[in-house]
Amino acid sequence: MVLLTRKIEFSASHLYHNPNLSAEENRRIFGKCNNPHGHGHNYTLEVTVAGEPDPVTGMVLDLKELKEILEREVMERMDHRHLNYEVPELKGQIPTCENIARVIWQLLEPRITRGKLHRVRLYESPDLFADCYRDGASGVGN
Amino acid sequence: MKNNALRVELGRRYRFAASHRLHASQLSEEENYRIFGKCNNPHGHGHNYVLEVSLSGKMDPATGMIANLADLDAFVERQVLEEFDHCSFNEDVTAFRNIVPTTENLSIEIFRRLKSFPHAKLERIRIEETAKNSFEYSGDHSEGARLD
Repeated sequence: MVLLTRKIEFSASHLYHNPNLSAEENRRIFGKCNNPHGHGHNYTLEVTVAGEPDPVTGMVLDLKELKEILEREVMERMDHRHLNYEVPELKGQIPTCENIARVIWQLLEPRITRGKLHRVRLYESPDLFADCYRDGASGVGN
Repeated sequence: MKNNALRVELGRRYRFAASHRLHASQLSEEENYRIFGKCNNPHGHGHNYVLEVSLSGKMDPATGMIANLADLDAFVERQVLEEFDHCSFNEDVTAFRNIVPTTENLSIEIFRRLKSFPHAKLERIRIEETAKNSFEYSGDHSEGARLD
């Protein structure tokens, strides 16, 4: 099995606020991420697909096809958007790195028909990221 | 596979600078130099280490988080960075009194210090000793394979 990874970058804004909590609790839990007008990040998304190379083309899947899927499912939805207000898939959820990675997994998995989605890694900054897997695949050695 | 649950992990990177010398007291000077090369130079040398911590756990529906970063940052600061940043592993850290502070052993020591994080499960740590060398440890079978 070979793992293939494609990287894209998008920029978006968000804020963390749970309407079921008081203003004080929101501030205590989320800190400056709770600032009312939001803030933004340059996100880096790494999408890893696992599979056997096709014996004729030598490809797990056509990178051009993966690029188009990422453009349609992720870039068009999230790039230069406010994640709280403009991305219906995130409605009612706090747009943490964990939740965004999970939503991106759910958007991509049914679209990837050659090979199998192995990992979605979303960096909110170079020092903070979330990984999403189907259970059974592991971060190390798989 | 498709029916298996989705699993999300949180990754956070930290930096610290420290010095070490690779030297095994059980070995002769010649053997030490042959095995460790310039890493055996008597006064040690340093690296800018990058520590990557990966956690898994249930995402709290109220916060959308596996763990609050403020809690994680404070824990890593207390358990690792306070002592390790700008230290000499050989001279300043008890754990390395009798074992060689390779980054393999450093990985095991850092995992040991972080595995009691109360809010999520420590899946693994990864240390970049330089941009070219990195080490991962997930606390499995190799724990205990220390040189002490």
